[in-house]
Amino acid sequence: MRPFELAAPATVGEATGSTGTFLAGGTTLVDLMKLNVVTPHRVLDINGLPLHGIDTGDGLRIGALERMADIAAHPGVYPVISRALLLSASQQLRNMASIGGNLMQRTRCTYFRDVSMPCNRREPGSGCPATTGTNRMHAVFGTSGSCVATHASDVAVALAALDAEVRLAGPDGERTVRLTDFYRTPAGSPEIEHDLRQGELITEIVVPRLDWAGRSTYVKVRDRQSYEFALCSAAVAMDVRDGIVADVRVAAGGVATVPWRLPSVEAALRGRPATEESFAVAAALATDGAKPLADNAFKLSLLPRTIVRALLEVTERSR
Amino acid sequence: MPARLDAPMKVTGDAKYAMDHNFPGMAYGYVVVSTIAHGEIESMDVTATKSAPGVLEVYSPFDPLALGPVSTPMFGETWVPLRDKEVTYAGQPIGFVVAETFEQARDAAMLVGVSYRELPALTSLVDGLDTAVAMAPGHVDEPPELTVLEEGVSSIEEAFAASAVVVDATYRTAAQNHVPMEPHSAVAVWEAGELTVYSGNQGAHLPALELSMALGLEPSAVRVVNPFVGGAFGGKGQTSAPAFLAAAASRRLGRPVKASLTREQVFTATAGRAATVQQITLGADRDGTLIALRHDSWCSTDIAGSFIEPTSHGTSRKWYATRNLAISQKIVPLHLPPTTYMRAPGEAPGSFALESAMDELAEALGMDPIELRRRNNSLAPPGRDLPWSSKHLDECFRIGADRFGWAGRTPGGRADGDWLVGMGVAVAMFPAQRFPASVGITLNADGTVDVQTGGADPGTGLLTVLSLVGAESLDIAADRIRPRIGDSALPPGGMSAGSTATASAGTAIMAGAAQVIGELLTLAASPGAPFAGEEVTYADGRVHGQGHTMTFGEVLRATGRPGLTAVGSSAPGEEMTKRSFSSFGAQFVEVRVHRLTREARVSRMLGVFDGGRIINHQTARNQLMGGMIWGVSAALHEGFEIGVGEVRGRVANADLAGYLIPVNADIPDIDVHFVEYPDTLHNDLGARGLGEIGTVGVAAAVANAIHNATGIRVRHIPIRIEDLLA
Ligand SMILES: Cc1cc2nc3c(=O)[nH]c(=O)nc-3n(C[C@H](O)[C@H](O)[C@H](O)COP(=O)(O)OP(=O)(O)OC[C@H]3O[C@@H](n4cnc5c(N)ncnc54)[C@H](O)[C@@H]3O)c2cc1C
Ligand code: SF4
Repeated sequence: MRPFELAAPATVGEATGSTGTFLAGGTTLVDLMKLNVVTPHRVLDINGLPLHGIDTGDGLRIGALERMADIAAHPGVYPVISRALLLSASQQLRNMASIGGNLMQRTRCTYFRDVSMPCNRREPGSGCPATTGTNRMHAVFGTSGSCVATHASDVAVALAALDAEVRLAGPDGERTVRLTDFYRTPAGSPEIEHDLRQGELITEIVVPRLDWAGRSTYVKVRDRQSYEFALCSAAVAMDVRDGIVADVRVAAGGVATVPWRLPSVEAALRGRPATEESFAVAAALATDGAKPLADNAFKLSLLPRTIVRALLEVTERSR
Repeated sequence: MPARLDAPMKVTGDAKYAMDHNFPGMAYGYVVVSTIAHGEIESMDVTATKSAPGVLEVYSPFDPLALGPVSTPMFGETWVPLRDKEVTYAGQPIGFVVAETFEQARDAAMLVGVSYRELPALTSLVDGLDTAVAMAPGHVDEPPELTVLEEGVSSIEEAFAASAVVVDATYRTAAQNHVPMEPHSAVAVWEAGELTVYSGNQGAHLPALELSMALGLEPSAVRVVNPFVGGAFGGKGQTSAPAFLAAAASRRLGRPVKASLTREQVFTATAGRAATVQQITLGADRDGTLIALRHDSWCSTDIAGSFIEPTSHGTSRKWYATRNLAISQKIVPLHLPPTTYMRAPGEAPGSFALESAMDELAEALGMDPIELRRRNNSLAPPGRDLPWSSKHLDECFRIGADRFGWAGRTPGGRADGDWLVGMGVAVAMFPAQRFPASVGITLNADGTVDVQTGGADPGTGLLTVLSLVGAESLDIAADRIRPRIGDSALPPGGMSAGSTATASAGTAIMAGAAQVIGELLTLAASPGAPFAGEEVTYADGRVHGQGHTMTFGEVLRATGRPGLTAVGSSAPGEEMTKRSFSSFGAQFVEVRVHRLTREARVSRMLGVFDGGRIINHQTARNQLMGGMIWGVSAALHEGFEIGVGEVRGRVANADLAGYLIPVNADIPDIDVHFVEYPDTLHNDLGARGLGEIGTVGVAAAVANAIHNATGIRVRHIPIRIEDLLA
């Protein structure tokens, strides 16, 4: 860690008007500072800002500083969101970590976190050792020759499935961006991860009202039962009427450089019977366009299975 | 008295571990490690580091600390940092920054610039198999390649040709690290030419000796203290890099120095368990009788070839009554972190291979896996005339099968909703040994007793065992015993290694107690003493004479003595020429695999153990449960990830987020059961070791259960989801 200056802005305007790196729960930022991966000169502690509240009146509005644990425990939050949160990190981390920070968390790519190694995302142009090195945890979608790292957030996958938006405040005012547009696949510049401009802050997460989102779930497949990132995950919400899929949302995690919405799978499910056979046919489309690496080709087999399992869980619950 | 004496202190935070020691004027050291696997350090730029706030000194191979070479009879050479510019693995200590605070030392260490002359690195065990070298494990008294043939059989191949059924397979196990909760660390205090080092280790005397060698001091000038140890598992026998560095820096600076590896550094700057490749061929008659067993092992090690993981010698050499046997051990030196003893070295990875192979044989024969093992029960290691002193493995299996519901197992497993359920078993064995040990026993005038030895209790329960055995040997209540361990100023003994501490220290206590009772009786009956001239006996903590009795405290007070001390000693003796000694166990595991997403989770576990006399059921159970959890970890989670294209030999998952060990949710209720047959042929106490056997066999039992559930045979550990997607 390098010595840094710490400030605590009292208002959103003060925060967005000053230069520095925002600190919320610190569970990503402080970790990366200790590893010298990020070396801010100035840290802005935003925990005093009024970015709180969970409003379930019309859809869902969540203040950016709400803690993961509090959101997960809120009875009005759609199951896919609370499950994605509960299956994230550990209770201790969920007590500290904010939802804004969660959406902004950095990749867990082992090379990104080790300053003795090259990494295009950390040091543009230095190279990407993951393409030839250890890449079991890495992505098969949205990758490029310059970066193959997954986006590690679970709740972002659930939010992407539900067409969530982020509200941003910045020196030039406020704006709202769809979460799926907010994140950037790496292409030639993996260091640009999102559409956040200089000084901009996430103030709120907005999930549009979806009356049947109560029938939703998040399935996370990983190497141990808890406290581990996804090898593969599926966020699913599904409206089944008379045994037929009336409408559905599907997104995948652990497999892509950004939360990965699967419109082709959704289209193939709509109007079809809610049976395992028809789920399997639709889920098989999920791997179209995948680019497996040496260690992670198994995700092409695992992803459709994960989606089918999630769809079955929701079907079970809708009965 | 609590079941574990140190528990109240540990749960309330009163237990003072090495790093909890603070002294006025103390400085903090931070270790700098290499970032390449092989090469020479050409230069180190420490200008920015030296001018960073709070920095006192920067040591490196260019500005080294006075540290000499270290070698001991039992452990051989111990690596001492900063003695040369050669780098032989990534993550090797190459520098030491000392500053006024920990943060200042850490931040300044990040500013060290190192330039290397990089050389090609060997990092792949598989690539090195062809050039492997035969090497006998250091602590095994047999050649690296060994064959036992029945009369009239000219080669092991001939024995296989004569076998009705032959199975042959190759197994692989991952490299691991002990990952103790307490990282390797030390606080060194240099005062008036004498050094005191507080450091968690497995016995205070070895590091004291090693530090005195490295620093060129008289052994008596170094004292090592470690009352509490936050886990060791074989990885804290020899002196750690931070201890050498803190000690030498403290001498140079004339200030106390505290140093610890970071969690990430523990994975490389210490030594871990080798990766192994093992080929096993089993030949049997149709009735399951083993005709031939061949077990060839290759293990990774550091470039100095410092440790041989005895997978063949530790298992197939002894486990089954095979008529013909051929085993070998080869090493593949690599530019990877050093390897060393780790809980059940040899037995843990070796049993994965052997006990998987036995399961494959049972399947090939269409025979129940327990029945196959029963038919090949050994009465002595093959070709040796020394029968097992006390072996009740069949009983372990019988009781285990009953408790576990083994009769309900079907060859193809069963389904429970979306989960495929299977059961597996494996044998566990671990040699019963003793190391030379001395324990001091002092009867005090206030009626208490000190029982003291230099060894360590890294969570094993030794401290409590000292009380219990002391109380039994002196026929008094355990709460009158004041046990002390973890200080090189105490008699050498009770080193926590090789599952020997209870048997070694326990018998030394018995010997010491007999001695001190003898001295007490002599004193009591001596002229002028309360029992002068009487016929005296000792029982119940009292001296009994003709018609009157006194407690030993009263005798001491009456004779004006503050206390009476004896040092009891024990060591392996002639029993070793008469019998073979081992602990035994039967491991039962039930596994569930999701039919779609293929996560394998252990749902039930039972271990039934034949470990001689059990001195403390709770700490014994705790040791075995811990060992069994290690087995699950090895089977499903744990292992170094070193990428194939990883020219820098970097451990990709060197932190606790990437190096997976099970969380609570991965571990079911664990049933541990003992058959208790005191093994007094081994030692007077009748206790054998329990610290390591718990982990032996578990990984195979898990793999066997997965095979039962899914029909998929995985021949490597850890077993992961991709292995089960077929
Ligand atoms: C061991 C471990 C395991 C984990 N496992 C999981 C897991 O399984 N699933 C999962 O989803 N996550 C996991 N995480 C990640 C964890 O969820 C994130 O670290 C956490 O959500 C980040 O939130 P924070 O408030 O602590 O953010 P901080 O660390 O404070 O900030 C993170 C980043 O976001 C920026 N930031 C914070 N708030 C805002 C804002 N309002 N607007 C703009 N920028 C902002 C900061 O500048 C910083 O760059 C794990 C983390 C750890 C350490
Ligand atoms: S995958 Fe991306 S984050 Fe990882 S090393 Fe390559 S560029 Fe860096």
